[in-house]
Amino acid sequence: MKARKMGLLLAAGVLAITAVTGCSGNAKNSSENAGKNQTESADGTVDIEVWGTNIGYKPVTKGSKLYEFYKEKLGVGVINPYVEWNGGTNYLNQLNLKIAANEMPDLFVPQQGIEDNLAKNGAIADLTDLLPKYAPNVMSAIPEEIWNVVKANDPTGQGRIYYIPNVVQYGRYGSMIRQDWLDKLGLPMPKTQDEYVKVLEAFRDKDPNGNGQKDEIPTGGREQARWMDHLFAMYGVAMFEGYPDWDIYDGQLTYSAVTPNMKASLEFIAKLYKEGLIDKESLLNTKDKWEGKIQSNRVGNYFHWVEQGNLVFENLYKSTGVKAEYSVLPLPEVPGYKGFYTMKKIASPQWVVKNNKDQEKLMATLKLLNNAYDKKNWKDLFLGVEGMHYTMQDGKAIKLPDDKSTQENQIINPATSISTLDMTIDLLNSTASEDNKWEIDQVTRNMQEAQKYAKPIAGDGLPASIYDGFPDINNRTLYAEYATKIIIGEYPISKFDEFVEKWNKSGGEEVTKRAREWYKKVNQ
Amino acid sequence: MFESRSEKVFVSGITIILILMSAIAIIPLLSVISTSLSSKSAVDMNLVTLWPKQFTFDSWAYIIDRPDLWRSFFLTLVTTVIGTALALLMTALLAYPLSKTKSEFRWGGVIMIGVVIAMIFKAPIVPYFLTVRGIGLYNNPLVLIIPHILNPFNLIIMRTFFKQFSKELEEAAFLEGCGYFRMLFQLVLPLSKAVLATLALFYGVLLWNQFQHPLFFLQNPDWFPLQIKIRQFITDDSVIMAGSASTADLNYNSRTLRAATVIFAIVPIILVYPFLQKYFVKGAMIGSVKG
Amino acid sequence: MKAIAFHRMKVYWPLYAMAIPGIIFLVVFKYIPLAGAVIAFKDYSVFKGFIDSPWVGFKHFETLLHHPDFARVFGNTLMLGLLKLVLVFPIPVLLALMINEIRKSALKKGIQTALYIPHFLSWVIVAGIVFDFFSLSGLFNIVLGWFGQEPVLAMQESDYFRPVYVISSIWRDAGWGTVVYMAAISAIDPQLYESAMIDGASKLRQMRHITFPLLLPTVLVLFLLEIGNFLDLGFDQVFNLITPMTYSVGDILDTYVFRTGIQQAQYSFATAVGLFQSVIGFILVYIFNRLSKKVSDGGLW
Repeated sequence: MKARKMGLLLAAGVLAITAVTGCSGNAKNSSENAGKNQTESADGTVDIEVWGTNIGYKPVTKGSKLYEFYKEKLGVGVINPYVEWNGGTNYLNQLNLKIAANEMPDLFVPQQGIEDNLAKNGAIADLTDLLPKYAPNVMSAIPEEIWNVVKANDPTGQGRIYYIPNVVQYGRYGSMIRQDWLDKLGLPMPKTQDEYVKVLEAFRDKDPNGNGQKDEIPTGGREQARWMDHLFAMYGVAMFEGYPDWDIYDGQLTYSAVTPNMKASLEFIAKLYKEGLIDKESLLNTKDKWEGKIQSNRVGNYFHWVEQGNLVFENLYKSTGVKAEYSVLPLPEVPGYKGFYTMKKIASPQWVVKNNKDQEKLMATLKLLNNAYDKKNWKDLFLGVEGMHYTMQDGKAIKLPDDKSTQENQIINPATSISTLDMTIDLLNSTASEDNKWEIDQVTRNMQEAQKYAKPIAGDGLPASIYDGFPDINNRTLYAEYATKIIIGEYPISKFDEFVEKWNKSGGEEVTKRAREWYKKVNQ
Repeated sequence: MFESRSEKVFVSGITIILILMSAIAIIPLLSVISTSLSSKSAVDMNLVTLWPKQFTFDSWAYIIDRPDLWRSFFLTLVTTVIGTALALLMTALLAYPLSKTKSEFRWGGVIMIGVVIAMIFKAPIVPYFLTVRGIGLYNNPLVLIIPHILNPFNLIIMRTFFKQFSKELEEAAFLEGCGYFRMLFQLVLPLSKAVLATLALFYGVLLWNQFQHPLFFLQNPDWFPLQIKIRQFITDDSVIMAGSASTADLNYNSRTLRAATVIFAIVPIILVYPFLQKYFVKGAMIGSVKG
Repeated sequence: MKAIAFHRMKVYWPLYAMAIPGIIFLVVFKYIPLAGAVIAFKDYSVFKGFIDSPWVGFKHFETLLHHPDFARVFGNTLMLGLLKLVLVFPIPVLLALMINEIRKSALKKGIQTALYIPHFLSWVIVAGIVFDFFSLSGLFNIVLGWFGQEPVLAMQESDYFRPVYVISSIWRDAGWGTVVYMAAISAIDPQLYESAMIDGASKLRQMRHITFPLLLPTVLVLFLLEIGNFLDLGFDQVFNLITPMTYSVGDILDTYVFRTGIQQAQYSFATAVGLFQSVIGFILVYIFNRLSKKVSDGGLW
């Protein structure tokens, strides 16, 4: 009786295996179809495998809608498998596994300075001669001075181009303040730091949202002391989305985290924290939590991408019925310091091309790049597939809301990798409807305003390889620990000097030396 | 049986403590459920604690309506059931000889050390990838089953139970001319329901919750198991660009969907437990011998 | 001699035959990839492969030991490992003994199911719940408020990290841990209890003198398995609960190697740290296995 049961179980197991194996044969075939083996379709289109950021959308597979769209627009078949991103960590590891198995994608986004090793080992194509010849649109879309930085970053030291950079040609960031709250309390826009602090105090005490509760949060930020750049910026600290960056201090390229400017700004922020002028939970806020606070009409001043403001305003309006009015806060003046918002034109390497032995694939990759960087395709590539990524309303293309279960990943989208102010504003306005015009107008005005305070930093384009061997410097581990503890008052500000010393000892000195050598090379 | 007063106090004291602990165990889960049943703006404004605010089924409607999620669900169900059955067989086959004395099975000691090493030492990812790929499991859905059919930890547990198996019973069977295969399948396993249920649970959960193998070995989205699908929701690093559509008309967001998918994925595995519980009844083993 | 060996095989061969598939599995899925751990002694590069990557001896181990924060990271790992062993490990045993005393079958099932549910929430989700619990509007501060206390943001206080670690471990996994023990208890001969009751032994005495001793071999085995992973605390839990303000007590080998090895794809270094953890784990198992063989006939081999 028992034995028979076991036997049945076993038989079922074996049967099931064979069944699944049977299927697996098909799966293998189809994936090979999608992959390298079939280079050319019946109509002569060459397929290439492209890897990049995908935060959960459907992959682009042979014959899918986006595949056909790219084939038509760019003349090349794009296969983009789903590779989990997870902050870049899983992506990088899977990319390495692919490389170890000798199956590097034809075109991909590098991570964590991996392009250096790739270039040194001859695994990615030297683009110096290829781009002007086969993809002139790429050359002309990116300004000369940026190519010079790319050349200086050649790890082989020969001034060759190994990657196509991700370029942002305008100041994306701003400190947004509730203009309607200022007006209600009869306060003028603050100009100096003292006035700014007075405004924050008024936000805290005078119930500007008018709900009778003292629930206002004057300003704040997110975990790891991120997304509160505006509080650092007034002291001239180079700070990029909460990460300290490199700029000229005392005449030399220096990591902003170890400058006296940083010390002064941390002291100031700690004072705000003590007085309840920044969110007590600033250093614990996740993205969700912080945005939730802003959207529940409680936050007076926050720092973020100006161009995403309309989504915040919209959600705030839908949740609370308040049409919030935001202005860009001019950098409050602090005596003895010159404030600015950090602008990085070269955000990171965007694409590297496999050093393909297969000439046909290499040419197809370059053709794809050339057509993708052709200005007249940008809008179409941004919009994607009709019915999937956008829809037509009154003769106007309106982007559909994010839906990871139906939308394929828009892997080729120059609007994200070569942004200019005009184009971004144009994209915003071209998709505006009657209902959200008030938001778009605000955002447009603020974006133009924010340009006044943006300054490109000297460390723009610094390659990740300067951190080789010092991962904890690269990860800002020490900085995050000291900065957060100083802000919440667990450490006195005098501890800052200990941090600088420790930072230098644990590799900061060496990293600084490398950064300065790089700077010399770029500015030859 | 007669019970003294202090006995009753003892038992009710324990009962109260356990009920309290059970409550503490489920309350946080309630908050996840509530999030999945609340409106987008309530969640956005961090209003949801224990009970749903602005009650809505919209997140669930969205989840239930996704064919790809259901596909993953059934794929995971099938691989879990088959994988668990295979794993129990594989594990029992090795655990049984390992439970024998040195005079019966001379390799016992060496293999046990080998098993312990296999449990403690973890292979680096690159060689593991290349090996598993080398045996043809890349882009092959069997990778959802085969690498999991023998787990050193579970093997040691099963061996421990086999070791405690009644020696008299086995000897009696042995004298009747019963070979080891029959002994295992007709005597030992039928009387080890408790441990089989335990390991079925362990393997079942392992297979149901796996994401590492499909993450590294599967590229065809048709073969993605449930956990990979869910990770697409749990991921936090969404970058929204200018000109993106407004989502304000939808009554769900990433947080409510995340909560709903989390519940969606754990309900089936929680439902299994009560069915297995009957094998944990005291004296299950001896009782069946008598009967 | 030969005749005896032949006779042995004639009787015992099925045992060897049974073991073959499992051994093959272990070799293929564990030992062949484990051979790749040699990259701990090399500067492995995906371009050069395992053979051609240059040997560097103990360089990566030295990097680990000479890291300025090594003492802190190692100390934290030991501390949390110890806490887990002393405070978390015994809880499932206690719970199982307690659950065993409940006779109403429905209540028993309900409690067991409730206790094991949290195990199915991943650490990302659990950490979210923990952060909510300790937030300004969370239950913790509401209760503090009842007693007229100032609110405390526990997740950014280093003093709270270890208690949070221990309690969250118990909350998530203790119920699940009882499963093995419940199975072991169910294997106990009921006649033992019957005769004990005839002798007038109280519940507590039965627990102490029958259930617990018979459960001990299982506890011992699980203890040995646990100690093998002494330095391997589980990356997910700590990574999701830690903040920069609690690095000083919460930064452990797993989080350290994630930042410096895995995130940067430094495979050789990550492997070296893994080997370091495993070798210590194995030595511990070896020692405790010897000890356990002295005190009982149990042990792993």
